[in-house]
Amino acid sequence: MQNMFRSRSWFGAGWGRPKNLHSLEHLKYLYNVLSRNQTVSEHNRGLLVESLRSIAEILIWGDQNDSSVFDFFLEKNMLSFFLRIMRQRSGGSSYVCVQLLQTLNILFENIRNETSLYYLLSNNHVNSIIVHKFDFSDEEVMAYYISFLKTLSLKLNAHTIHFFYNEHTNDFPLYTEAIKFFNHPESMVRIAVRTLTLNVYKVEDASMLAFIRDRTAAPYFSNIVWFIGKHIQELDTCVRNDADHQSQNRLADLVAEHLDHLHYINDILCLNITDLNHVLTDHLLHKLLIPLYINSLTSPRKQSSAVDGTTQSLSRISLTPRGSENNSPKVHDFSTGKVSCVVALFLLSQVFLILSHSPLIQTLSWIILKTDRSVFEKGVDKLLEYYEKEKEGRNSEDEACSRTLSDISSKDSNSSKENILDEQPNMNITDEEKQKLVASPTEGAASIDHPFLETVYDALDCSENDYASLFALCLLYAMANNSGVTSDITEQVLRPKKSFISKSTSASKDVRYTYNTFLIEKVLNIIILSCQPSCRVRLVTLELALKLFVQLVMCDGKNILLESHRSVIETARTQSTALLRNFYKSEEIFLDMFEHEYCDMSKGSLNVEWLCMDSAILLPPTGTPMTGIDFTKRLPCGEVERARRAIRVFFLVRNLVLTLNGEVETQLPLTNPQSCVQIDQALDLNNSDLIACTVLSKDGTKTRRFLVIDILQLILVEPDTKRLGWGVAKLVGFLQDIEVTGDKDDSRCLHITIHRPISGATTNRIPLLNAKFIFDDNIRCMAAKQRLTKGRIKARQKKMQHIARLLEIPGQSGPPSPAFAGQGLYATRSAGRGVRENRPLFNISRGPGFAAPRRESPPGVIHRVDDSRRHREGESPNRISNLTKENGRKENHSRDSSSNRVRSREGSPRMPRPRSEEIPLKLIKKAPNSVIDMAPKIAILPRPQTPRTVIEPEPSTSDENAVAKDLNVSVASTTSEETSFIAEQLNKAGVETV
Amino acid sequence: MSYAYLFKYIIIGDTGVGKSCLLLQFTDKRFQPVHDLTIGVEFGARMITIDSKQIKLQIWDTAGQEAFRSITRSYYRGAAGALLVYDITRRETFNHLTTWLDDARQHSNSNMVIMLIGNKSDLESRREVKKEEGEAFAREHGLVFMETSAKTAANVEEAFINTAKEIYEKIQEGVFDINNEANGIKIGPQHSPTNPSLPGAGGAGGSQGSGCC
Repeated sequence: MQNMFRSRSWFGAGWGRPKNLHSLEHLKYLYNVLSRNQTVSEHNRGLLVESLRSIAEILIWGDQNDSSVFDFFLEKNMLSFFLRIMRQRSGGSSYVCVQLLQTLNILFENIRNETSLYYLLSNNHVNSIIVHKFDFSDEEVMAYYISFLKTLSLKLNAHTIHFFYNEHTNDFPLYTEAIKFFNHPESMVRIAVRTLTLNVYKVEDASMLAFIRDRTAAPYFSNIVWFIGKHIQELDTCVRNDADHQSQNRLADLVAEHLDHLHYINDILCLNITDLNHVLTDHLLHKLLIPLYINSLTSPRKQSSAVDGTTQSLSRISLTPRGSENNSPKVHDFSTGKVSCVVALFLLSQVFLILSHSPLIQTLSWIILKTDRSVFEKGVDKLLEYYEKEKEGRNSEDEACSRTLSDISSKDSNSSKENILDEQPNMNITDEEKQKLVASPTEGAASIDHPFLETVYDALDCSENDYASLFALCLLYAMANNSGVTSDITEQVLRPKKSFISKSTSASKDVRYTYNTFLIEKVLNIIILSCQPSCRVRLVTLELALKLFVQLVMCDGKNILLESHRSVIETARTQSTALLRNFYKSEEIFLDMFEHEYCDMSKGSLNVEWLCMDSAILLPPTGTPMTGIDFTKRLPCGEVERARRAIRVFFLVRNLVLTLNGEVETQLPLTNPQSCVQIDQALDLNNSDLIACTVLSKDGTKTRRFLVIDILQLILVEPDTKRLGWGVAKLVGFLQDIEVTGDKDDSRCLHITIHRPISGATTNRIPLLNAKFIFDDNIRCMAAKQRLTKGRIKARQKKMQHIARLLEIPGQSGPPSPAFAGQGLYATRSAGRGVRENRPLFNISRGPGFAAPRRESPPGVIHRVDDSRRHREGESPNRISNLTKENGRKENHSRDSSSNRVRSREGSPRMPRPRSEEIPLKLIKKAPNSVIDMAPKIAILPRPQTPRTVIEPEPSTSDENAVAKDLNVSVASTTSEETSFIAEQLNKAGVETV
Repeated sequence: MSYAYLFKYIIIGDTGVGKSCLLLQFTDKRFQPVHDLTIGVEFGARMITIDSKQIKLQIWDTAGQEAFRSITRSYYRGAAGALLVYDITRRETFNHLTTWLDDARQHSNSNMVIMLIGNKSDLESRREVKKEEGEAFAREHGLVFMETSAKTAANVEEAFINTAKEIYEKIQEGVFDINNEANGIKIGPQHSPTNPSLPGAGGAGGSQGSGCC
């Protein structure tokens, strides 16, 4: 240890420097250095910096090991040397100052011994250092200085606060010096200041907090509020002048800045310091949120009169600032201006998403939802006064003004009953009455009474575009979900209302649910519009509309929709399905798109808070992806994106219907992961098709495996050592994701790439496997290739059929897709191996050269038919017999009939044989009964068995459609009666796998 | 003190993983912990040279401020690089990486370079997280990975400097908007490549001194 330090010596010839760096002797030596170099010069500053570094190290060492070190430091008053050094002007002292501050940082951050800390703080030197005027134009000095203050603030507690805050002199330099930098151009400095203020507020010391409130709160908060106002005016200008998305970066900064402000305010409010919160809330409401944010919501149509009133009242406020401390002359600059409605809605959404301080939020939501125009026109102060009155229960008072106010309030309460439709019960009501309800004119009345709410409602209109609608939805959603708003404000408007009506005849009470029908109709409009082919509603708007919709009409776990509204939802469902039907097979990659979109959507529902952090939505909606804006937050560009959009709309509306009915999704995703074979699963492969092969991976490793081809999956197994005829899955991949190519130099070889399935969990797109497969001979190789190629086609066809049924494409009524349900067959079997040990799963007794799994159809058999043709030509009569067979097989643990047949002709590519993708009936379970019967049209209808055909081996994987069309000529022509009974059974049922 | 660019870094990770020690080790190599003396600091700056350009690194530790959402948010946003640190002797610090990363990705600008650091590599006997696991995590999330020891200084230089190199490359590629200081990058007062001087010592001239006090 000693050697190490000697070798790292920074000093030249020592002045009797002790050998042990960590010792009292060394500190004494450093004290001597400081004493002899009290004047900083070009020559000694290097030495001083090194001494200061060492002092920090020794002190920390002493703090933990030897108390005499600290005693010496205090006894010699070494901090005074620090002060003396920093007060000198000469000799590059900024360089020394930086080290000095860093030494202090290290000291205060690492000291563990509380007594040491108290001693360090006791002689007021630290406060002298704090108030010292460093050269703050030097960014390095600034950074180290502010870090020093921040470090000190982290040491604050009920005891240490008294070293910094002097009650008698009313002095708190740590805080007052720091807040001078609250708007420093350097962001890290601003953050440090905020951290410090929060650390200060956190300390529970009444007199200190009183000082903060009385001496600093008003100016500090009013400054913050003024800067926020200034920022959002910049933001507004930026939005107004940037229709072409030219300054996205600038806008992103301004939005992030606003969020920073709000989060900071929220962090303060969350500390729950009543006095501070009161001052802060007051400033926010009077100087920012009402005059700037809310007043910008006044609808342009009625602006003239309202604006006059507002400006008048605002100018009145400007002349009489609420606190004499508000000495910033600019404080009221922005109050005469307004920001655009879009920006105001966006910013208010952020306010409601971030802040939850009840007194603030409650006031704001009351003003937006309930303000009467006549009161609003009197100005901010009156508005707040009125609100206070309202809150106190509208006590009658003798003052002159109170009479008018109570007039207004009574008018308000009457009008709300008359004009808002949501008072209507949705039960026991005739259609005629409902029609009347829907038709009754509410807009005019609402606009008179609630100018702000009316603007929000107006913004929901997206017949032209959904620019403002998205923000209106954000705001409504944010208000409805803010924990600071009490239910009496949001009920009826943003939440369903539940009331009890006592019947006159009996003692029992009826529950009556009501909701805001006016708003619901606005939202329904957005939903219906979104389902139109060329609408200008973005996906994100639809998703948010649906989210809000569910909240508006779901109560006690069920929906309380009126019949007329329910039928609109049904229309939306039909239209969204029809919309997607247009794109079915429009693209070669439709299936991949469908699965990808589903996967993308399953990653989680829309997070509104995150949405409102994205500045991109502040610019007018655009279509081009070149802006870098997310797909869901812009309009589709081109056919492929239109298809993607249609898929999403379909999913979203489908999900809405399920939610409204209290049902769970049973048809999606197309692949049910639970029914797939997993790695390391043991499988009974007796009588299965197994193709032995050697897998040669890119890194040169060779493994011996058996290839098994299931309905959807390709499985590589190795023999199970515990049980004869069983195999353990070592690699599984989906047939739909494979690429197979032959090897031009070796006819026994195939190059197989298995791509990773689309999944939300991982973004990893490295192929699951990319290897060369070497088979025993070229026949086996050919067989494998054919099976893989066909397996791919068939796996994809099955999924396409499943989609077709979801889309209610005619001719698709049949059993649930094997893609979703069928795979469960395999897994069930393998899972139940304990009891059905002897049941063969795959046929293995076959002639040499043939190793295809039993369930695989012979090469060339195409099971898919052109949908329209199948519809026209009727459906296969074989389906039921196959189904029964499969079912019976399962129950009897015997599949002789089929397996024998297969075995006998195995390998003949022309041999027809029963398909093995049948769905066992027992896999089909009834879905839970729905509350409202909207289910039938969603549930998947059973479909007939896909017809069998025999074709020549067809190695191509690409041209599925053509193949299918050409080959399915001899499709059986009658719909069997057996089919229809199953169809009925399944009619109302979802499908689940076991 | 003249530099071509200034990069702002933050250090994130669970408490006790040695963030502030790494910082101090890098900015002030003098503090080689002995006698189990662990010293850390929350802020430090140092000059490095990349491509014969002087680059100043400013490193801000966010420790102790996690309670305030506004603070962490702002820190992330203002940084060009982040060192995400876990302790190889404490598995839970590794398990929390995803949370940290999600936070970072959500709040930071998309170009921020994140370096994954498995710290305390000197404590091989108490290792709980294999190096391969760190590598795999980094690969999966597109991070650069390195194991370091703030105690022996192993790889500490490399961790900070490699991060800087990556940021520098991104600047060369034009990915970073260097005129936007909110990204955590600042262009120096003047582009004059000077001799690489002692770490931290820079070229503080008398001119700066005159402004002081």
